Amino acid sequence: MTIEKMTPIDEGFWTKPVNADEEIQLIGSKCSECGELFFPEKNKNWCIHCYKSALKKVLFSRKGKIATFSVVMQKPAGGFYHGGAPYCYGCIDIEDGIRIKSLISTDDYDSLKLGMDVELVIEKLWDDKDGNEVSTFKFKPV
Amino acid sequence: MKNLNEMRNVYVAGMGLIPWKVYDKEHYDFGSEALLNALNDAEMSWNEMQAAFCGSVYQGTGSGHQLIKEIGLTGLPIVNVENACSSGSSAFRLAYLMVAAEICDVAVAIGMEKMPKGPIPSTAFLPWELASGFNAQMANYANETIEYMEETGTTLEDFSRVTVKNRKNGALNPNARFQKPVTLEEVMASRVVATPLRLFHCCPLADGAAAVILCSEDKLKSKSRALTVAASVITSGVYGEGMMMSSTMASLKYPPKEGLVELSVRQAYEATGYGPEDMDVVQAYDTMASAEIWDIEKLGFCKKGEAAKLLKEGVFDIDGKIPLNTDGGLMSRGHPLGATGLGQICEIINQLRGEAGKRQVKDAKIGLAHAMGAGPNSSVTILKK
Repeated sequence: MTIEKMTPIDEGFWTKPVNADEEIQLIGSKCSECGELFFPEKNKNWCIHCYKSALKKVLFSRKGKIATFSVVMQKPAGGFYHGGAPYCYGCIDIEDGIRIKSLISTDDYDSLKLGMDVELVIEKLWDDKDGNEVSTFKFKPV
Repeated sequence: MKNLNEMRNVYVAGMGLIPWKVYDKEHYDFGSEALLNALNDAEMSWNEMQAAFCGSVYQGTGSGHQLIKEIGLTGLPIVNVENACSSGSSAFRLAYLMVAAEICDVAVAIGMEKMPKGPIPSTAFLPWELASGFNAQMANYANETIEYMEETGTTLEDFSRVTVKNRKNGALNPNARFQKPVTLEEVMASRVVATPLRLFHCCPLADGAAAVILCSEDKLKSKSRALTVAASVITSGVYGEGMMMSSTMASLKYPPKEGLVELSVRQAYEATGYGPEDMDVVQAYDTMASAEIWDIEKLGFCKKGEAAKLLKEGVFDIDGKIPLNTDGGLMSRGHPLGATGLGQICEIINQLRGEAGKRQVKDAKIGLAHAMGAGPNSSVTILKK
């Protein structure tokens, strides 16, 4: 299934390229007063760092490094997460200077290391009850 | 704004605990038993209570009212307090402030919880975070743990010694859910729950309740067992500090000058004039074995990266220089969310009164309890003889 037919976990998290040579990027906010970065994009024009209404839409680099990670052996309680287990998530330090919490995609959990270079991917999270693929952003070792 | 030390003295008149375990009964049944124990301990009658604050997380609307209906409605104001794992200590602070500010003379703090089964279904996350599986609290701690290990060189074996120490202490606590010690080998061989953490690095759940009655000096029935509340502080989150348990990400551009725990404990030390060197007994927040290690450092008892070495040397044992989680901590008591913060305070009360039985710390005069809570919250309570 192509990405276009997937249902994103949240509208507005990443760009939807029109041309084949464009790459998907995560969308966030940048404060033009203090320079602080936010992900996902803030839905109100208010910087929670400097308290100014100076946010602008910004696209983040696709590249980062693993700052922290954990491989989780069982699904969390509450029934909100319908993906597989074990699964892995952690903090990714993006080149632009923002830390983003993200699922980490790999076939080999044992190979994951702190400081490892990773790149943005869009992947299926689960099939919903109507048979649609629910997709999300992840970071994958390069 | 008034400083805590500008208000009148507040005293611990009584405390009540019940065994923490898995109950068939409802929270108001066993919670009201803890409250009756506190009343009995304070030698007070129920109609002397002028305000009640009831901490819980999962018990729903009016849960404190349900509990107090078991004892009797007297017209006193009942306020339910949901402040995640620091709900009980938040209730304590509110009761303390009511007496300190001379709004009332006797107030009671209650914490209780009948826990849902299995890992905590924390909903303190945004919908997309929940859908992504980011509410696995053990994994959130694991993420912080791996970062801490990288920064300090602390090992999994070091963390495992926290479990061994606390379960050893828990074996001396008749109210603890787990009263059987474990070996280092058993901790290291327990199953992985979220790399690098294993099952025995995680605190168990339990149902439980605790109650503490606070009052002004003139309302004390017995001065010989009374303790003074030296400080009760809560701070809730500072910008830029990463706490995945509370869904806050570290700011790479603007890291905080002072972390949340450091801020709360500094306020408590400033209000009392005490420092970590004055504490005879400490209850730190050991939801995870690794959390106790970094908590005791953030509370100022040693520098970052030093706690594992001190633990190995026995500094945190009951007969050590800084007795830590003497009742077995969350690791042995279990973790009924709304009760935990108050349970920690009850252990300090036991220790300062000299009523801690086999786990008694010699000549304990001043003690500190620290609870975290998703949000995030950090609450620090200092009691003195």
